[in-house]
Amino acid sequence: MSQINSVAGQDMRDMFSAATSWLEKSSADIDALNVFPVPDGDTGTNMMLTMRSTMDEAYRAPDNSAAGVAHAMARGALMGARGNSGVILSQMWRGLAQGLEDKESFTAAELAAALQLSAQIAYKGVSNPVEGTMLTVMKDAAAAAQAQVDAGNEDIISVLEATVSAAGDSVSNTPMLLKVLKDAGVVDAGGQGVYTILEGALQYLRGETELMRLRKPQIIVSDIPHVVSQPQSIAIDEVPYGYCTEFLLKGEELDPDVIKKRLLKKGESLIVVGDDSAVRIHIHTLTPGNILQFAAKLGTMHQVSVRNMDEQHQDFLEMQKERMPTTDTAVIAVAAGDGLTDVFGSLGVAAVVPGGQTMNPSTKDILQVVEATFSDKIIILPNNKNIIATANQVQSLTEKKIMVVPTKTIPQGVVALLSFDYEAEFNTNAEIMEKALSSVKTIEVTRSVRATKINGLKIKRKQPIGLLDGELIAVGDTNLDVINQLLSRLGLEKAEVITIYFGEDAEAEETEQINAGIMEKYPHLQVESIRGGQPHYSYIISIE
Amino acid sequence: MAVKIVTDSLSDITSDLAGELGITVVPLYVRFGETVYKDRVEITTEEFYRRLVSEAALPSTTQPTPNDFLEVYNALAKETDEILVIVVSSKLSGTYQSAAQAKEMVEGKCRIEIVDSLSVAMAMGLIVISVAKAVKDGANLDKAAELARNAVPRSHLFAYFDTLKYLAKGGRIGKASGLLGSLLSVKPILTVKDGEMAPLTRVRSLNAGLDYLYNLAAGFSNIEGLAVEHATTPDDADKLVERLGEIYPKERIYRSVISPVVGTHAGPNALALTILEAEKK
Repeated sequence: MSQINSVAGQDMRDMFSAATSWLEKSSADIDALNVFPVPDGDTGTNMMLTMRSTMDEAYRAPDNSAAGVAHAMARGALMGARGNSGVILSQMWRGLAQGLEDKESFTAAELAAALQLSAQIAYKGVSNPVEGTMLTVMKDAAAAAQAQVDAGNEDIISVLEATVSAAGDSVSNTPMLLKVLKDAGVVDAGGQGVYTILEGALQYLRGETELMRLRKPQIIVSDIPHVVSQPQSIAIDEVPYGYCTEFLLKGEELDPDVIKKRLLKKGESLIVVGDDSAVRIHIHTLTPGNILQFAAKLGTMHQVSVRNMDEQHQDFLEMQKERMPTTDTAVIAVAAGDGLTDVFGSLGVAAVVPGGQTMNPSTKDILQVVEATFSDKIIILPNNKNIIATANQVQSLTEKKIMVVPTKTIPQGVVALLSFDYEAEFNTNAEIMEKALSSVKTIEVTRSVRATKINGLKIKRKQPIGLLDGELIAVGDTNLDVINQLLSRLGLEKAEVITIYFGEDAEAEETEQINAGIMEKYPHLQVESIRGGQPHYSYIISIE
Repeated sequence: MAVKIVTDSLSDITSDLAGELGITVVPLYVRFGETVYKDRVEITTEEFYRRLVSEAALPSTTQPTPNDFLEVYNALAKETDEILVIVVSSKLSGTYQSAAQAKEMVEGKCRIEIVDSLSVAMAMGLIVISVAKAVKDGANLDKAAELARNAVPRSHLFAYFDTLKYLAKGGRIGKASGLLGSLLSVKPILTVKDGEMAPLTRVRSLNAGLDYLYNLAAGFSNIEGLAVEHATTPDDADKLVERLGEIYPKERIYRSVISPVVGTHAGPNALALTILEAEKK
């Protein structure tokens, strides 16, 4: 493939124009990524409209140098910026314009430097920068470009390839940085937009304009565990969000920094960007009137938009409803320990009720979660024999349809959940799940709370003891000893998968020993060890 | 003049069978880096899967061009004046679009009907085979198209996936996205519902997956066609065929390989069971 060492202004204009068309194709998909409470529910559309205004201005510019085009783009973006993401995007072009000051054309090194400046200026425009957003993606992309240049790469195409690839990785990592994304199981929409623009620019430089016409940008899917929120956070729709207020302020000798300081306490998500003649303001406030009054004293206001975010939130909830999965049945599990909560979350339960051995939740605890869950048909997995009765009581206290699959242990709960059939009716599903319980054996290892004699075993206080499907049948000097006793009683010829959930007090070294021991003794088994974080039980082991 | 039948390479109809039944197969494209291959024509399934697992960059796929179909239509129009085209689900690929655009470009009086199979792999292949047999027995275009459309809701695909990585990266995960992100290693069982990928359930091991697929097949009372396909693990597929022999004549089970284009999304170690239910009399 040919190498490109410099890009002139006209080419740069066409390049970003192609990138805009590329973004346009995916704007609806990007809109769909939005998670409340990120308030502008249409990031893709906003970025696309911002880019259109950006490019309109770029084509109006009389100056065909890279600097001239970049300045026109920055001006067009500022004038036409829509929504939070649009405003931040406009900062990106402002940084690019500053970086390309006085340049006829740009080299790879100059592009990398300009991208760095873009990211810096974008961060500055936001009063309270959050990682895991388009800011992070811009920063990571710019850093990758710089690294290529530092390594002596002069080919703009391959520098941009590294940039796009880093942007993609950064997008897929956004859920790790931002909990709302993780909870919703999506990547950041603004970050996806930035990635798409860069990708479009790269494809143009590669000469793939024909392909761009035929294809469509892909939304990056992050392979992160989809974790459910704790039940208490469900009341989110009661929080007032106020009004999303944005406008362009034109005047003389405006000072964005001073304006930003004055508005800082008036609301949230404040963004103030611009120069001394035009400033774009975006804020979420309960009192939009005060903001407008203040601004009216400084100059004239244009493109004023005040939107009620609670209404937007309602729309968002409606949209969420439409995106609900194929089945209308939700599953709720009872579990203790952050690891186990995550395991159940990652397997698709709607909520986890905290509880387990020695901390049985009340009927009311379960009921609350049932009522807060987004479904009228709910299957409950108690995962403990002392909680089954409590869960059964919920049935008579709610209008919702409830089925309790009597899971007595965590492994039974997991097996039941896995066997969930996405095509089956509510009752059939409960049957299928209950049937699956016989396919698993559970070992639980804990310590005796007192000295005793049981099932012919003499047990000292604090001695490791082992339960097989709830029956105390082993005692030993170490956890490992107890586990080995139980495994050898089981006869593992027919077993296939062993999952070890280690508890909050399990020691890493011992876990490793147990793991290795099982793999060595039973080489035909697939062994998986995972942090359960559960209290009381050092180990819960599932044998399927 | 007899109806000519055209399908795309995602039907997974082997070239022997295509020749025997007089079916023309239009290939999709699979791309590794800069090089584009015609599905099954310019790259064998073996070569493809070897590269799928060994190369760092994942391949991508594209539909046939309208011109690909046009050439086929024009060539067939010399022998017949009726063509039936059965293509992969329009929700999984733009192949239908290409086939339809080409239809507009055909000159002359050849009639062309296009049927969206709303399915993929041998679930589509079984429809094609069933219709091809009817054509051999003298069905005309209207009759054949009606048969094909009737068969669509009776055709089922059940697939065991070793990983959802490839499906997610290719952007065709559809409603199965809810199965992503499991902290435990699980093997998803998917189906095609309303033309899109949809989740069925999850299992923890290959054997559990084979059991599940077998039980699904055993749940059908009246089967017209049955096919088993593999990506990289023929022995596992053969095991399934062996067991299916208990409920259906083994020699009538079609064995095929998941095409490179579908393999791009299904990944290595995937298995597919497809069933064409018999029409209720």
